[in-house]
Amino acid sequence: MPNDTAVLESTGTITEAQLADLGWTLKPEGLCQDDTCVLVPDRAALVGDAGLDLAVLADLLDRPVAVDTEAGLAAVGAPRSVRRGAVDELRAPEFALPDLDGGLTALSDHRSKKRLLVAFSSW
Amino acid sequence: MVIAVAIDENVEKIRELADGITYPVLIDADHVLTELYAISNVPTVVMIDEDDRISMPNWNAYGTDMFKDFTGIDSNQQHDRIRRWVREGDAGMSSEDAAGAVDDLSSDEEAARLHFRLATALRDRGDQAGCDRNFDRAAELAPHDWTIRRAMMPLRGGDPFGQEFFDLYEEWQEQGMPYHGVRGY
Repeated sequence: MPNDTAVLESTGTITEAQLADLGWTLKPEGLCQDDTCVLVPDRAALVGDAGLDLAVLADLLDRPVAVDTEAGLAAVGAPRSVRRGAVDELRAPEFALPDLDGGLTALSDHRSKKRLLVAFSSW
Repeated sequence: MVIAVAIDENVEKIRELADGITYPVLIDADHVLTELYAISNVPTVVMIDEDDRISMPNWNAYGTDMFKDFTGIDSNQQHDRIRRWVREGDAGMSSEDAAGAVDDLSSDEEAARLHFRLATALRDRGDQAGCDRNFDRAAELAPHDWTIRRAMMPLRGGDPFGQEFFDLYEEWQEQGMPYHGVRGY
């Protein structure tokens, strides 16, 4: 899922290929995903010689980002609107996670059923 | 139906816990669910209806009374509530009350989840110092979030049921037992 969380090699900037991995393309009309584009008001802030500024990008996409510059690794979270849709508007966020047999199960695999989601752990 | 999600990377332990269970048991090693649903402790249960609407948001409900002495929560009453919802569609909470009942994550709690992911990713790359640095940062950002603080204990050689847990529990109580979820249900 392009809106999923991601961990990527970065010290603060990313390449266009990494942007594509995140599910986005930079076009003249803005940052685009399928038919949807996000306006980029300050293109110079986003695009520099070193690549695309990850903090500016994350801000434009309303996704949180954390960069460990020493390790050269960054984590990008899901769009905040997804969680806000859950807590404020009661829309259940979609997810797909591996099951114990290695397959992927998504919430939407069981659409049109009542689902009791149980978050648990061994800790 | 039940969809169980382990906020955990210990697949073998989860396999043991899931022994004999027929519903899906999923592994969320990266804590994606805690970010998407603003979950700060387990067990947290969410009732989701046929139309993908949340009937009951983050709720501290238990499968058994194993922890009743500790939590004071009667799981039988909770199970009755779930049965009523399954049969009659009544979760026992109006959508007006349910919307906004769970506090959104703060930007620090959000960032803590990202640093937790960086910590495990760096550990997997053999960068132990980087791993520790990011676990420390996550703990600093979300000091009373169990999915951060307690979940990292076994990953750092600690015991999530030992003294470290009781110390954290005391600290959490002193802070007014913060929980991203409904209370009193």
